[in-house]
Amino acid sequence: MLSCADFLAEFGDYLEDLADPELRTRLEEHLRECKTCQVIVDSTRKTIRIVTDSDSFSVPAYNVELIVRDVMARIRDKKR
Amino acid sequence: MSESHAIRNEPFGQCPGLVEAYGFVPNLFRAQSELPRVIEAEERLIDAVVVQGNALSRRQKESLLQTVASVGENHYCQALYRQAIPVEADSALLKFVLKLAKHTPWFCANDVEALRRNGFDDATILEAVVTTAVGQLLCTLADGLRPVPDPGLASLVSSELPELPESFDWVESPGPYLQSQPRPADDFRPYALLREQVGFVPNLFRVQALWPEVVEAEVQAFEQILVPEDLLSRVQKEKILLVISAANLNTYCVAVHSQILNAMGVPSEDSDQIVEDHRRAAISLSDMALLDEVRKLARRPARSGAGFETELLRTHGFSEAQIVEAVAMAALTNLLNTLQAGLGAVPDFPPRRVFSPKDLYRFSRQARPTSDAASPDDPDAEVVARVQNGDIEAFEELVRRHTRRVMATLAGLVGNMDDARDATQDVFLKAFEHIDRFQRRSKFSTWLISIAINTGTELLRQRKPSEPLEDVKDEEGFRPRQIQSWADNPEELVAAAQRSGLVREGVLRLPEKYRVAVLLRDISQFSTEEAAVALGLSVPALKARLLRGRLMLRESLAPYFIRTEKRSPDAQLC
Repeated sequence: MLSCADFLAEFGDYLEDLADPELRTRLEEHLRECKTCQVIVDSTRKTIRIVTDSDSFSVPAYNVELIVRDVMARIRDKKR
Repeated sequence: MSESHAIRNEPFGQCPGLVEAYGFVPNLFRAQSELPRVIEAEERLIDAVVVQGNALSRRQKESLLQTVASVGENHYCQALYRQAIPVEADSALLKFVLKLAKHTPWFCANDVEALRRNGFDDATILEAVVTTAVGQLLCTLADGLRPVPDPGLASLVSSELPELPESFDWVESPGPYLQSQPRPADDFRPYALLREQVGFVPNLFRVQALWPEVVEAEVQAFEQILVPEDLLSRVQKEKILLVISAANLNTYCVAVHSQILNAMGVPSEDSDQIVEDHRRAAISLSDMALLDEVRKLARRPARSGAGFETELLRTHGFSEAQIVEAVAMAALTNLLNTLQAGLGAVPDFPPRRVFSPKDLYRFSRQARPTSDAASPDDPDAEVVARVQNGDIEAFEELVRRHTRRVMATLAGLVGNMDDARDATQDVFLKAFEHIDRFQRRSKFSTWLISIAINTGTELLRQRKPSEPLEDVKDEEGFRPRQIQSWADNPEELVAAAQRSGLVREGVLRLPEKYRVAVLLRDISQFSTEEAAVALGLSVPALKARLLRGRLMLRESLAPYFIRTEKRSPDAQLC
């Protein structure tokens, strides 16, 4: 059976349901026996959800418009 | 070739070896003033071969260098050796050098034998081959750096070259071609250095043992151009060597340097793909541009160097010094390829790719694809085409579509919105300026984000190195330490605004290589494949960095999201 270190090296695709069937079987075999890796899988999935859903680096609409305006002004200036 | 693309010349120090060889320091070397170690290596080579070597006269060697320059239609080098007295047009030596320089893939043992029949011994043949190789090195440097002509040498000379047959038979001739193969002492320093750097002494250097001084100079060039990692990485330089050697159809150098890349962790499949067609390899867009450009400096087809664009490389974030180093690396490769072709060194490893006559036209520019059939459908394709056709205003749509993603990625990379805003503008201006060169080998958004990553990384380089994530080792030994269960709905434990702050803080504390992977995949929502292309990584490498980054982030977020009603104190990794 896989060790925790092997599991942690291989479970990236499993997190996104992309592991091939053979790897998936081996990972799940380990997971059934290992409470610690169950916790790590669960909390990593939640981490991804929190990071993906966060607006940590979101750009306000007015910023977008300012950048569009400034970039296009500089391009038009250059082309004159 | 336009001078406007030339790399600027810089103030220059003393170079006694160059003064001895030329009577002054030619602009060809002044144009490399950002890289003294490279100039020193080139100076040592020229001194060992042209000034010190004595099997051929110095005058003869200068004539041969003039011949090589004429073959390459290299006006700068022709002018540099304009004072050389031409070798007799029908001489065996001239025909030997001409074939080696102009028809390298067809060069074979019969050509060496022909020279031997004309009374040339191994020492002289070796000197003729090395001189030709140095000529190719100088022409490559001049093609890439485009130095301004040296004062007083601007006028060109035309030299009569003997006519060689239009076509040759491709002769498979086992090497090595020289009969004298002395064995240097075990402590011969260049061999020790090669063993240290690549683990063995390549046959290419063993077949030159007759002339230890030149082996020393070549290994010094190897040490001072290929090995340092302060500008381009060693892997980038090995890839340059591979691409040019493939274009030159040099089975030996491709075999040896594929093996070296493999030992450095680059899978065989990746190096094989670079040999076959680097444009389909899993490399970043900036590395693709680098290989696209340096490939123009290969000595095949005969007229090389045309169109080498330093400006394009600048757009992809390469510094002046890196561009000079790339040109020097191309020059070193052409030197090594010519040496191998002339001396018939046999591969140190069984070659996975043996070039044959059917490859002669495979690498021609016309045959190269202009678009990548594997490119996914690009939602921006139509607007990009309008901009490329001169509709400037259409670019506004592209800016509007992509500003959020570019700026969010830059904010996560550089750490503050003000810098991210300025950098975002720079990214779009660079993209507009070079949109003609976007050839749809990837999605426009991937191309754009690779410009953003280069711009952001450059900004970071100008600052102090960012702080790594505290208490988390950026090493192979990294293991999760927070192993308590998280709440079923962790979002309910922390308000949205605070969550955003925690994520921002966690992302910014990640080491840069993990941070960009997380930013592209989880913040900017690029696919794994797109993120890999933008970062110049293979998909497995991107996945490994992404997983590490996510696990590190999980460590920093865990204290805020663990289940409060029960703990799991016994949990530990096996």
